[in-house]
Amino acid sequence: MTDKILEKEQQLVQLLEQTFKNCTGKVVRERRVSVSVEKELIPSVLSYAKSQLGYIHLSHMSCVDWIEKNKFEIIYILWSPADKVQLFVKTMVNRENAEIDNIDMIWKQANTYEREIREMYGIQFNGLVGAQEFILEDWEDMPPMRRDFDTIEFVDDNFTFRKGREDAGNVREEIIKRSGEEIPDFAKKYSRD
Amino acid sequence: MLLAFVVGVFYGGFVRKITARVQNRVGPPVYQNFLDILKLYSKKTAINHGWMQHLGPAFAITASVTSLMFIPILNGTGWCVWFENLNFKGDLIFLLYMMVFGSLGMALGAGQTGNPNSAIGVSRGLSQMVGYEIPWVLAIVALMLQTKTTSLTGLVDFQVSNGTWMMFESPFAFIAAVLAMLGMFHYAPFDVPFAPSELSSGPASEFGGKYLALMMSSGSIFSFVKLVLIVDVFLGGAANLIMLVVKTFTLYMIPVLYGIVSPRYRTEQSIRYFWGWPTFFGIVGVIYAVFVR
Amino acid sequence: MINDKNSRKIADIIQDFSRKHSLFMLAYGTGCGAIEIPPTTTSRYDAERFGIRGMATPRQADVLLITGYLATKTLKRVIRAYEQMQDPKYVIGFGSCTINGGMYWDSYNTVKILSDYIPVDVYINGCMPRPEAVITGFIELQNLIKEGKANGAEQYKENLEWYRENQRKVIKNWKMPDYNW
Repeated sequence: MTDKILEKEQQLVQLLEQTFKNCTGKVVRERRVSVSVEKELIPSVLSYAKSQLGYIHLSHMSCVDWIEKNKFEIIYILWSPADKVQLFVKTMVNRENAEIDNIDMIWKQANTYEREIREMYGIQFNGLVGAQEFILEDWEDMPPMRRDFDTIEFVDDNFTFRKGREDAGNVREEIIKRSGEEIPDFAKKYSRD
Repeated sequence: MLLAFVVGVFYGGFVRKITARVQNRVGPPVYQNFLDILKLYSKKTAINHGWMQHLGPAFAITASVTSLMFIPILNGTGWCVWFENLNFKGDLIFLLYMMVFGSLGMALGAGQTGNPNSAIGVSRGLSQMVGYEIPWVLAIVALMLQTKTTSLTGLVDFQVSNGTWMMFESPFAFIAAVLAMLGMFHYAPFDVPFAPSELSSGPASEFGGKYLALMMSSGSIFSFVKLVLIVDVFLGGAANLIMLVVKTFTLYMIPVLYGIVSPRYRTEQSIRYFWGWPTFFGIVGVIYAVFVR
Repeated sequence: MINDKNSRKIADIIQDFSRKHSLFMLAYGTGCGAIEIPPTTTSRYDAERFGIRGMATPRQADVLLITGYLATKTLKRVIRAYEQMQDPKYVIGFGSCTINGGMYWDSYNTVKILSDYIPVDVYINGCMPRPEAVITGFIELQNLIKEGKANGAEQYKENLEWYRENQRKVIKNWKMPDYNW
């Protein structure tokens, strides 16, 4: 019974895997399909999806920083109003000298998303035209959304806190103490101590 | 003149209170406008952009006070000697000119500042004035043709001696004048030049402190002047102070109550309105005055 | 304006009475707390009965409301607006982001203590304060004016160097007109 319902999504995965090489797809759940390709094939996959398969709407572009694998992952989220299925197209980009082609000519809204990713992560888009400063003004440091940018250190260098309020303490630790659980390791880095 | 200032500012306060009550809330106390003007006068620094900006509000307040000097506020005996003011033949035409002079003053003062918002507000205000001047002038011309005088005291005497009000003698001119009056007070729906959300207050956007206080005072005096003018011309003047207050207040409620519930017209919409029915009534009034009487 | 209470003349008392009962606030919301300004000024929690109205330009306004967090980009523009206002002027800081950073205490882009950059007269607590709290803040400002203690503007003029040093530390590209009044 579940096979009947996921028929559209599985057909989509098979079609994409046959058309492009080195492309691996997966049906995440009903109405969501996720596909990974190499970064050189991105413009052709996206224009194929837009013109032939009916995925005419680019909802968002997003970026994940895999510092352990030394790569950035860029995700394009597409939506087809006819089939009502969401398609995630993912690529991996190297962390040093990160660059990828821009897809401005396929959808115009990609201009805004690419400028934001360029400012926050430092990935260069070949052929992207747009002002260098987008949200931050006069920013000279490392792009701030990368995981090796230490926010606490930056705040301690440039801003001061009000004296006499050090007893406000760490809210997270207080909650943990009252409820009796443990702080996991990855969250310990963001405490106020 | 002190009477005009006090009554004008009180009317402003009353309008705010009535607006608030219509909107189902308690408004500021009725003497609020006095406090606003007093506070604006006691600002310590005055920021200006040149000598023309001093002249602008000075022109405006000169215009209002001069117009005030030419209107007989009360007729009859007794109080007459204080409020008779200066009158001469043909002063109605002079008044028509003086009322335009006030807007000119503000336009000049706003132009000096170099703020583009002021420039747009001024151009909109002046083009709106083109709209409402036409029915107003037609109404006054109809009156002048009917009574064959051009002086205000002549009109007032005509009404007193004949025993009727001009409102009933030439009704079409009255309707045209009331509809034009809606635009003269710069109250909604015709407040495009002054609206805070349209253009950050249009012409007054660079005036702070003392200049703004002058503009507010001149605005209050000016509205009082216009009210008394219409009362004199159409409603037969007033014999004593209480009747004056009653008549002007009732007349003031027409634009105020209409304005509380209306949104704003754009400039071209307001001009199209003024050149429609009010002009029609004005022309009919002129024809009526010439041929029927 | 004279600071100590012993020598307040009659003219000062009348001026303060008129100033505290007709505060014109700049109708501009800087941060996410601006959503509490419309309920305060409309029918249910009426702020106009205290004489508070919204005006459109800094030249006509008395009170600057800093509602919420201030990014460094906004701080430059707010300083310009503050310097365009005329004396005597007051600043009210809404919310906990102006007091000690609030929810954005570890953000690289917001300022933490507001009174290092602009002199603040009254702080209102909350995230966001309810309209009743906002009106209480305004009444507190009125009491300060009555006693003659609301002189943030004079502090700014006297300690201009200190304020400028703090501002330049955060705002890197400084192209602003001089403050000459």
